Amino acid sequence: MATLWYLVRRVAQAVLVIFLVTIVVFALLHALPGGPARGILGAQATAQQIATFNHEQGLDKPVVAQYFYYLRTLLHGDLGTSYTLNEPVSTLIVQRLPKTLVLTVLSAILGLLLAIPLGMWQAVRRNKPFDYAITTLSFVAYATPVYFFGLILVLVFSQALRWFPSQAPQGDTLGQVLANPAGLVLPVVAGAASMVAVFSRYMRSATLENLAEDYVRTAKAGGARQRAILWRHVFRNSLTPVIAMLGYYVPVLFGGALVVEQLFNYPGMGLLFWSAAQSSDYPVLLGCVLVISVATVIGTLLADIVQRVIDPRVVAGKS
Amino acid sequence: MTAIAEQLPVAEGVTGLRLVVRRFLRNKLAVIGLAVVVAFVLFCFVGPHLYHTDQTHTALDAVNQPPSARHPLGTDAVGHDELGRLMYGGGVSLLVGLAAGALATIIGMLWGAVAGYAGGWVDAAMMRVVDAGIAIPALFVLLVISAIVSPGIWGMVAILGLVSWLVPSRLIRAETLTLKNRDYVLTLRAIGGTHTRAISRHILPNSVSTIVVAATFQIADAIMLVAYVSYLGLGVRSPQTDWGGMLSAGLTAVYSGRWWLILPPGLAVILVVCAFNAIGDGLRDAFDVRGRS
Amino acid sequence: MTKTILDVEELGVTFRTETGEVPAVRGVSLTVAPGETLALVGESGSGKSTVALAAMGLLSGNARITGRVAIDGTDIVGSTTGKSGAAGKAGAAGSSGAAGKAGAVELSRLRGRTASMVFQEPATALDPLTRVGAQIVEVIRNHRPVSKAAARQEAVELLRRVGIPDPARRAAAYPFQLSGGQRQRVVIAMAIANDPSLLIADEPTTALDVTVQAEILDLLRELAADAGTGVLLVTHNMGVVADFADRVAVMLSGEIVETGPVEQVLLRPRHEYTQRLLAAVPRLAVAEPGESAAQASTTVSARPSAGVTPAAEGSAGEPVVRLRDVSVVFGRGGRAVRALDQVSIEVRAGETVGLVGESGSGKSTAARVALGLIAPSAGAVSLFGADLRRTRGRSRRRLRAGIGVVLQDPVASLDARMSVAECVAEPLRVHRSMSARQRRSRVEEVLDRVRLPRALADRAPRELSGGQRQRVSLARALVLDPRLLVADEPTSALDVSVQQAVLEVIAELQADLGFACLFVSHDLAVVQRFAARVVVLRAGRIEEQGRTDATLLHPETDYTRRLLAAVPVPDPAVQRRRRAARQAVAGAGA
Repeated sequence: MATLWYLVRRVAQAVLVIFLVTIVVFALLHALPGGPARGILGAQATAQQIATFNHEQGLDKPVVAQYFYYLRTLLHGDLGTSYTLNEPVSTLIVQRLPKTLVLTVLSAILGLLLAIPLGMWQAVRRNKPFDYAITTLSFVAYATPVYFFGLILVLVFSQALRWFPSQAPQGDTLGQVLANPAGLVLPVVAGAASMVAVFSRYMRSATLENLAEDYVRTAKAGGARQRAILWRHVFRNSLTPVIAMLGYYVPVLFGGALVVEQLFNYPGMGLLFWSAAQSSDYPVLLGCVLVISVATVIGTLLADIVQRVIDPRVVAGKS
Repeated sequence: MTAIAEQLPVAEGVTGLRLVVRRFLRNKLAVIGLAVVVAFVLFCFVGPHLYHTDQTHTALDAVNQPPSARHPLGTDAVGHDELGRLMYGGGVSLLVGLAAGALATIIGMLWGAVAGYAGGWVDAAMMRVVDAGIAIPALFVLLVISAIVSPGIWGMVAILGLVSWLVPSRLIRAETLTLKNRDYVLTLRAIGGTHTRAISRHILPNSVSTIVVAATFQIADAIMLVAYVSYLGLGVRSPQTDWGGMLSAGLTAVYSGRWWLILPPGLAVILVVCAFNAIGDGLRDAFDVRGRS
Repeated sequence: MTKTILDVEELGVTFRTETGEVPAVRGVSLTVAPGETLALVGESGSGKSTVALAAMGLLSGNARITGRVAIDGTDIVGSTTGKSGAAGKAGAAGSSGAAGKAGAVELSRLRGRTASMVFQEPATALDPLTRVGAQIVEVIRNHRPVSKAAARQEAVELLRRVGIPDPARRAAAYPFQLSGGQRQRVVIAMAIANDPSLLIADEPTTALDVTVQAEILDLLRELAADAGTGVLLVTHNMGVVADFADRVAVMLSGEIVETGPVEQVLLRPRHEYTQRLLAAVPRLAVAEPGESAAQASTTVSARPSAGVTPAAEGSAGEPVVRLRDVSVVFGRGGRAVRALDQVSIEVRAGETVGLVGESGSGKSTAARVALGLIAPSAGAVSLFGADLRRTRGRSRRRLRAGIGVVLQDPVASLDARMSVAECVAEPLRVHRSMSARQRRSRVEEVLDRVRLPRALADRAPRELSGGQRQRVSLARALVLDPRLLVADEPTSALDVSVQQAVLEVIAELQADLGFACLFVSHDLAVVQRFAARVVVLRAGRIEEQGRTDATLLHPETDYTRRLLAAVPVPDPAVQRRRRAARQAVAGAGA
């Protein structure tokens, strides 16, 4: 019951947030040079075309009415048409979003698989050489721009060692991309690097905090060995804040994907977005922002639900 | 832990600030970070007065030269001296980072403090706005806005500030929520003290540590973000540049072995961002506040 | 000599801290025999908890330990337990200790089997993410090779033994789903899971309400008696000592100053410190069967200005503050909590009204309503004759100039960024326009009144002791010559000797200045000595109210009777009789 109530409230919150995001995107649309008409029809549009467009889209109506009109087209899945690629934005995004999701999810899994044991081990070996070494490394990894790190990966593993290709696998479908796993290695590793840095730090401090908790002392007083305490109690308790953090990290992850895709020429949404930014293809830009934001909200929602599964104390609306 | 808490003696005569400074200075990484930042500030802002180079005109007779006595770090594809460019671009990076970090912290501080202090539906509404802002990945918004307005340095500062105030606002809201229920604030309100007084005399001064720590991390993030935007080709426009722009320009050259175009700005970004993060870490531990890890 | 289960010889503990080495325990020697309870008493900072943790080898990494501690003949102290909590590989650690001392492995075999521990804070002592049954199962399986199913069966049985209703279902609960008392019962179940010969209880009832405290002490006593367990009881509460202990060791700044049988130490203390400590303990005056009521009431009016000051006699004068049919509801819909339900309270000039009740009774909420910090959902509050609902803005603020506030936590009550003088002067800055010099002289005046040296004015609160800080709060409360003082548990975070001094100052000032006082406390003995009238709250409702001498000696409701019966008094003989009477009533009721 409590869980159901939690889900309802949390989903309602997510819907509200998505609603607010559409307002932001709508505002951006109106901030386009020459207004939405010029932005959507492109710089070559004639005055005649613009007038027709404005009338068709109800742009001569009050702003609020315009917003609801915009919302209605969104609900119909209409994100406009790219004027460089001459295809509906929704089609373009549907083609590329799964590939971006695969890239980010793989990076996230790799990142967490490395970060969580690293952080825990650091906490256990606090202030020993191992801890200092990993701390320094994570500082550097966090401060290294993804593209710089990716470039070094390419120079080392592609140019010098020739282990992996420097270009991501190409192809319209997900299958074509996944058919060439060697090409995925460098992009996934590049995307995971800063994640390892952030989350190992986070896991380290969460573990340290938990090691100082009273319940650790209780477990010790009950005769539990250090290793048992660590795995049976501290690990799970430290994981909850890390999962919560994962929710906040989703947008950063997508930002990273944008750069990784550009660098490795990976045919996902990030690359689509970047090319659109170069050519001022506004319908694509705004469509991507909207979709990526919705994906972020859903990602955050999922992280919260996972956290709730691990920690029954979590109450909706607490952040 | 009570056993230790009981035992802690009263640190007589040591003021809070002195204790903070002492703790900070004991953190080696943080002190090194501070030294690195000072060194880079001198390098970028004093350096150009000692080491004169022309960063506005192209010099087509001296393009893509490897490091030499005349050009210690070589020259780029249009003949700019790379060392001078490192100073010049660094100046932009640092200026934008510092200003945007400060701006983001100020906006976030005001928003978070008001939401936290007001509570109730005001708080809920303001925080949903923050949620919405966080849901839109910063890099995406930055690129869209940059594509629309082609910002200069101060435009960049404004955009970065507007995009990255969300995280500090959450931190400061949390801090305000704790502080407004502290006994001394309750006491003040019970005897008829005004909200203004509660905020200005108690809540803000007591959040200074959180704000300072947030600002430090914010600066690091802003320097990174501006490097990303410039790298993606939508940062400050040529002939102005920053480290990210230099990296972007040098990217293709690296395959032809011109490492001097990419290694110095890359290392500079890493060093400076590391340094600010180390300072933030040190400050957080010294102030003993919770923040990002 | 009889065999001992715990043997401590010349124990010394020093903590390395940021500000240098801090000695916590010096030359402590004590023994506990099977079946006997030794109470280790002292005020905060006396090192009593440190001794308990050292005995279990649970001190943190920054502790340096000397001397010898042996549990059932196995040496604990000097082993690797001094290392940080994260001492990695269990196998390697065993070899590093000196010969004959327990290594990490041996130590963990001892803990939870030969010796167990019950901690002070049941809220944090259990792993929040593990079901309580599983936590008990873990302790069982740490020491005995029983199957999971069998251990689960045992865990349920243990929960039944410690008095948890419906134990089979409760075993699947998470700690946050249990009350504080129930959580402490779970901790106790874990402690007795392997029938230990020694039980170390570190302030096991301090965080609990007095009725729950009585139940937990009964439980511990019963369990220890059944199994012949030796108990080391660490506490600051002399009533608990009288209730539970066979022998007592009194600690003062890291050393034991007096040891002896409980009757001797509590009734005929020899050391000057023990005498002083016992004199400061507020004693609940009780109308025992056999003791005359007259005798009891002389004890009540022992305090100079207790009882009723002339101004408050009868119903003369308007009440200074009046809550009329006040209800407070927190939250909305299905989750709404009714914190106060139709509560009416009045406090008149010169009078002290004590607000007592257990946690969740709404006593602090009532105080906050009186302060105007919480708006009532229904009912009315009038302050100095003005209806708080009808006053707004400036006039409301002016009204509030007549209020003084002292809250519980000596640390959180003062802004650490201000000096003592600034803290005290804050109400002046809010309500009076004065020159800096005038303010300063007024601050010094009130510091004198609360008996703090003027030299403290420029210190930071951090540099003051808890008692001094509460007096600074009091000075701040008095700086505007209030007509009403609201004190919410003003001394419950303080040691008894300090508590006495602070209460004396409040009483004296009230006699001088004639303010009304709303005094919130969980401590019936304190309220009995301090308040003229008492209001007993229970779950947001007023259970009963009346003159303190009548109500707390001859209560009219069962609840108040139970509450009073649960308070342990620091006289072993009297306390034994009270306990027998209470258990008889409870037995009859069940």
